[in-house]
Amino acid sequence: MDASTGNSSFLTPRRWRKVAYGGMQPGYDDNHTDETFLADMVMNASVVKRDILKVMKDSVAISQYLCIVSLVILVWSYTLRSTLDENSLLLLDTSLLGSGFLILVLTEEMLSLNLLFHYILNISFFITGLSVLAPIYQTLTRSLSSDSIWAVTISLLMLHLFLHDYSGSTIKAPGALQNPTLTSCISLNASVVASVFVASRLPSRIHVFAIMLFSLLVFLFAPLVTYCVKKYSFRLHLLFSLVLMVVTLSFVYILNKLLFVLLLGLLVFVNMVCPYFLIRIQEYKFEINGPWDEAKLCFDITD
Amino acid sequence: MFTFLFGNRYRSSVVHFFFLKLQFLFRCWSNLGTGVVFLPKILHHSQVVVATHAYGNRSGVRYMTGGLKVYYIPWRPFLMQNTLPTFYGTLSIIRTILVREKISLVHGHQAFSTLCHEALMHARTMGYKAVFTDHSLYGFADVGSIHMNKVLQFTLADVSQAICVSHTSKENTVLRSGLPPERVFVIPNAVDTAMFKPAPKPLDRNEIIIVVISRLVYRKGADLLVEVIPEVCRIYPNVRFIVGGDGPKRVRLEEMREKHSLQDRVEMLGAVPHAQVQSVLISGHIFLNSSLTEAFCIAILEAASCGLLTVSTRVGGVPEVLPDDMIVLAEPDPVDMVLAIRKAISILPKIDPQVMHERMKKLYNWHDVAKRTEIVYDRALKCSNQNLIERLSRYLSCGAWAGKLFALVMIIDYLLWHLLRLWKPTEDIDKVPDFILPNNQDGKSSRFKGIQKLSLNLNMIAQKKKAHIDTTELCLAKILRHFLRISWRI
Repeated sequence: MDASTGNSSFLTPRRWRKVAYGGMQPGYDDNHTDETFLADMVMNASVVKRDILKVMKDSVAISQYLCIVSLVILVWSYTLRSTLDENSLLLLDTSLLGSGFLILVLTEEMLSLNLLFHYILNISFFITGLSVLAPIYQTLTRSLSSDSIWAVTISLLMLHLFLHDYSGSTIKAPGALQNPTLTSCISLNASVVASVFVASRLPSRIHVFAIMLFSLLVFLFAPLVTYCVKKYSFRLHLLFSLVLMVVTLSFVYILNKLLFVLLLGLLVFVNMVCPYFLIRIQEYKFEINGPWDEAKLCFDITD
Repeated sequence: MFTFLFGNRYRSSVVHFFFLKLQFLFRCWSNLGTGVVFLPKILHHSQVVVATHAYGNRSGVRYMTGGLKVYYIPWRPFLMQNTLPTFYGTLSIIRTILVREKISLVHGHQAFSTLCHEALMHARTMGYKAVFTDHSLYGFADVGSIHMNKVLQFTLADVSQAICVSHTSKENTVLRSGLPPERVFVIPNAVDTAMFKPAPKPLDRNEIIIVVISRLVYRKGADLLVEVIPEVCRIYPNVRFIVGGDGPKRVRLEEMREKHSLQDRVEMLGAVPHAQVQSVLISGHIFLNSSLTEAFCIAILEAASCGLLTVSTRVGGVPEVLPDDMIVLAEPDPVDMVLAIRKAISILPKIDPQVMHERMKKLYNWHDVAKRTEIVYDRALKCSNQNLIERLSRYLSCGAWAGKLFALVMIIDYLLWHLLRLWKPTEDIDKVPDFILPNNQDGKSSRFKGIQKLSLNLNMIAQKKKAHIDTTELCLAKILRHFLRISWRI
């Protein structure tokens, strides 16, 4: 029997129903495809339409962090060459600490004196602990060759950059809801270990203490500070990133021309090429949802 | 996997051969297994041979009820009852089975089974017609599903017809594999209403008993049970639960039981053998199914056949399975499920198990399924034979890179097949002679008589042909005798 004329046929007045019981439906073959076939399918339900300017502005956070890491590497290389002595390093540390606190105080809305005192206490514990441990770091890698140290440091920094959580901060202000993920913890640890390796190559205890303090201040607290700036005002964040990029590029230019070209290329790639590529391939996105999907549980499974 | 081989006693050239994948636990096994056992009895003009891979120490050839022959191919399963995918490793043994049993159609089941995909690929290379049945629903988004769907696209590129167990499953299969919808038939599973009879005396309705029988895994909604059971026990003091089945989530259910002190109200039975499922079902009033995804739920059919009112989650193909007055549907959310149980308890006085059982007999019937399956087989057999060049164009349309890869795989398979034909010619493979079995429809005694007669026949054959028999046939006869003695005791 021709299924398409089933509806109007005099002999088979029954409409086709989407049911499995009752055996073969009279007047319709088993392979009858109704007009309601795939009617419940939903396409691209949760796909966000992206705008290229917004994506470019969001990618500034990544290039800002890249610049911060390049500045850290810059300070390390100057210290290892003995261009920077320990007094200037200590000065750098104190200025970083001071400016960080200033930014936090200015941008945090609900900062109370209690919280500030809490932060200062933590920082002083941190500095004391570091000064006690500095002698250990100095002799840590004495038996290793320099080449292995540089190789490990660079690979750890690569790992750190790949796994870093660019959207937020691993060390959160108290009251933040989102827990740090596994990859962000791994990246933080990788950066800390890299700074330990670099610090262990330095001549005196003060050098070690100063460089460790500097590296840890940047790696632990720079994401928090930049997150606070971004939360406060997006335009301030863009301005700050621009200034940072200009400063970094000029310093790297003074150090080494090749590295300058590489850094410039990387920043252009991250800020311009990647957003354009993302927008282009978004057109091919095809998300299918329908009654065949596995149901999602609306509650968390707590074991 | 079980394979059904359908052979025609009257037209011995028409023999079908297909693979059926065993589901993960014996309970689901027996759901499909009942079909395995039933269809040979019903399909009078087809003979069935089943092929699957070895389980435990089951290896070789066995005869089941009704003369159903099962080949347990000695390939060890390595993960979830699945063998390692070897592209061409199974070519030789499948060719031997297909030639030996004089097969004309290969029917493969279950997209997750590597043996099925390989068997269908080799069957198409050798020129046999192929039919595929899909029993599960799959997603599109994660890495595993994407690969699985590509493999399915490859297998179904050249398959004559496909069968799905529900309309939702048809939509899912068509989207995944790119098959034209006209080639997909919807033939649901059925239930053995003779085995799943309601209790002879109606149960007392003062205490309402809710039965749950399922694998206790995430996919079957065991976490929903953990949330729903304490809530229902709190609201209704006269409700008891019986939970049958085992799995990784059993620990969570036990903990829930301890935490809310429901030891006397929730009974955990553990794994229930298929023979005892009916006795567990008839001890309850309501059947609860909380699965998160289901192409077609046979458990619901069994429960309805035993006269239980079903409460289930509205997922996949479940809304199509039963009429609206035999099932209460809920969203997969604990609050909604508790409301659905409340509604079920309120309409329970109107339910008569015997009436429900009689209705189920009319709604689902293995004879009907067999008839519809034979229509698909006839349609498949009528398809024209195509040579390799014509078939390659179908594979090339699968994708820019994938199409060429698939075409290459098929060409190599074709070459290997010809090499095999040169090495082991078709004439050297002994064909199995046709056995005439007593065509009985009644109970167990005739089954044993049938097997006895079969073993007698084999003995006679072995003795008669001893002088001219070659070693393979003799070994086969010996194995068969050995396995028949064991299977008699099943």
